Amino acid sequence: MNWVTVVWLFVASACLTLSGIHLLIGIRQPRASYLWFAISAAACATIAAFELALMDADTPARYGTLVRWTHVPIFAFVASLILFVRSELNAGSPWLAAAVIAVRGAASLVVNFLRSPNLNYTEITSLRHVPFLGQMVSVAEGTTSGWTRLGELSSLVFLAFLADATRTVWRRGDRRKAIFVGGGAALCVLFGSLSSALIHRGVLSTPYMVSIPFFAVLLAMSYELTSDVLRAIDLSRRLGMSEEALRERELQAALAARAANLGYWSWDVASGDFWMNDRAKEVRGFGAVERIDFERFLESVHPDDREEFRHAVRESLGSGGEFNRDYRVLRPDGEIRWIVSLGAVERDESGRVTRVHGVSIDATKRRLAEIEAQRREAEFAHLSRVAIVGELSGSIAHELNQPLTAILSNAQAAQRFLSQNGGNLGELREILQDIVDEDKLAGEIIRRLRGLLKKGEVDLQRLDLAEASADVLKLMRTDFVDRGISLKTELAGDLPQVLADRVQIQQVLLNLLTNACDAVAGAEPQERRLLLRVDLSDGFVHVSLADRGAGLPAEEIERVFEPFVTTKSQGLGLGLTVCRTIITAHGGRLWATNNPDRGATFHFELPAAGAP
Amino acid sequence: MSFSGERVFVVDDDPGVRKSLARLLRSAGLEPIAFESPQEFLRTLGAEPAGCAILDVTMPGLDGLTLQRELTSRGSELPVIFLTGHGDVPKSVQAMKGGAKDFLTKPVDDEVLLDAVRRALEVDRAGRESRRERTEIQKRLAALTPREREVMEGVVAGRLNKQIASDLGISEKTVKVHRGRVMEKMAASSVAELVRMADRAALRRP
Repeated sequence: MNWVTVVWLFVASACLTLSGIHLLIGIRQPRASYLWFAISAAACATIAAFELALMDADTPARYGTLVRWTHVPIFAFVASLILFVRSELNAGSPWLAAAVIAVRGAASLVVNFLRSPNLNYTEITSLRHVPFLGQMVSVAEGTTSGWTRLGELSSLVFLAFLADATRTVWRRGDRRKAIFVGGGAALCVLFGSLSSALIHRGVLSTPYMVSIPFFAVLLAMSYELTSDVLRAIDLSRRLGMSEEALRERELQAALAARAANLGYWSWDVASGDFWMNDRAKEVRGFGAVERIDFERFLESVHPDDREEFRHAVRESLGSGGEFNRDYRVLRPDGEIRWIVSLGAVERDESGRVTRVHGVSIDATKRRLAEIEAQRREAEFAHLSRVAIVGELSGSIAHELNQPLTAILSNAQAAQRFLSQNGGNLGELREILQDIVDEDKLAGEIIRRLRGLLKKGEVDLQRLDLAEASADVLKLMRTDFVDRGISLKTELAGDLPQVLADRVQIQQVLLNLLTNACDAVAGAEPQERRLLLRVDLSDGFVHVSLADRGAGLPAEEIERVFEPFVTTKSQGLGLGLTVCRTIITAHGGRLWATNNPDRGATFHFELPAAGAP
Repeated sequence: MSFSGERVFVVDDDPGVRKSLARLLRSAGLEPIAFESPQEFLRTLGAEPAGCAILDVTMPGLDGLTLQRELTSRGSELPVIFLTGHGDVPKSVQAMKGGAKDFLTKPVDDEVLLDAVRRALEVDRAGRESRRERTEIQKRLAALTPREREVMEGVVAGRLNKQIASDLGISEKTVKVHRGRVMEKMAASSVAELVRMADRAALRRP
């Protein structure tokens, strides 16, 4: 073995290896550039083999034949390399590419085989043995053909093609690739064709060495391809990881969504189309494949909430803020669903809103439970009201009996006057007027009573607490008198109104007053005193009721508001609990204190309503 | 049918009730006087009121039952009719024990009320008559000498002149003289009448 054989065999086998590797990759992962590269490498290996044979040629005829056949892999190499560059770098003028292939094809495949002995020679006269890398190799002696220029032309166009491709890649910003692949290839092709040209012109007396630079081109290309493969592997590994993480997150999100009954939707503002998940569609009663735009979406919103919803969306689009809205959905089957919705807008670089993303929760169950709880609370408050009014029934009956007594006695007196002497008209007129007045009085009492026993929705209205208190005191008057309790009222003048449910507030007053009466019932007659005060404190209308009873043990002062805590022998101990619920629902506060000398004071305050 | 000087005192804190009750009583020919509070009533009440009182049980300050007790403690025998807004059993029992003539529930029918008032007035009249009689007897008794009183006590006790003479250690004749003076001073036409008078004056122990 000598150096020539070693080098050329190495080049050939390296090329074959490259070819094999890229052929395998190209087949597994069909990509044209790998196949073109494999062909180029195989061609290069063949060129190397022919070159080795040429160096070993023993007759001019054989040399000529070998040169002729060497053109075939050269053509294959040039053509496949061009196609590789086109497909891998996506660069190089297609016209130049076509020109190279056409000229090279004409030279290597047509003229080469028409002329004898080949493209490059008109005649090979003899073989000369020259030393090369410490060995004697054959080189041709003879007349160079003019057609050789055709081959050289193809090489020039090839160089132009490569230069053009390099420039494109460079401009694209991938400078490393431009230098390595484009620049390197151009240099090697230049070297290969230049060395051949010099050999043909008799300037160089060496064997053909086209395969060596071609091999260098292949190495550069292969480096690029391999780094692509490495990058691809790395990318795919990372992709695989993030894909897994993504899948995991998606799974978690889907689970959470299902658990929370979450619906997703996304609204493409430009196209107007809504995308939503099945849950979001199901809640609104949309079909699975129905196309949904904003108007259709809006149609699903309950008519009572629709305008507000539209307004909220518009505002959110304008401000770009988050969109947070509760609304009802009216499904085609007439069912109402409560939706809690949260949305956010997405903008492009220019700040224009492109999409609105939203999450909606079907809060119907919760809402229904809330409504049910409110209903129960109201029912309970009502029951507790009925109970307390029941406690007062004696007092109320007495209050009602007074006007009834007056009416009956007046009417019967009138009958007697009439039966006696026709009566005195003036007196009769007076009697009738009194009957009318007393009847109205009775009606008032019934109205107050009905108001208290009424079972209805909470009705917030502007309320004068002093006036509401006076109403309750009228109902309780007899109770006070009966039990020998005196009540003093101190009402601050010019009090603001509060926003409250009249019935409920009166219920609280009734409760506190009956409790206070019970508290002083056992006291000495001179201590059976209550003081009801209504004044303004820090924007709250403050009502306090002080008694002169036994007061509350310090540890009971908060406990009395807990359910089933009572100091009375009869009674459930729910009155104050209900009172606190009512006052708290009104945004107020109910509490108790002990008086410094004697007894306890119950307080409540409600926020003063602004000017109407 | 009203006797002169007889009044029906109406005490009720409710002006409407007060006015209507007074009107009803007037329509029946009675003479009502209305008071809005027990205190006012007590202030106005004379020593010897004639008539009856209609009191509301439930009144601020001083209730009907307390007022009734106050009247009794003042020695008044004015018949009392109670009116109540609700039939309160413990209170009605208390009232009746306190000597109430009637315990009526509001609203009250005119006939029921007027009947009660008439009965009360009759009671009052009879009471006043017996009080007047008793006073007269007391006056006559006061005119008797101690000896005459002793003889009278013997007579109403049903003892014979002889026995009385023996009891007192005087002669039967003297007893007869005293007896004649007693019958004269006491203006009694018979022993039976004298016994009645002694009963009225609670002189005789049954």
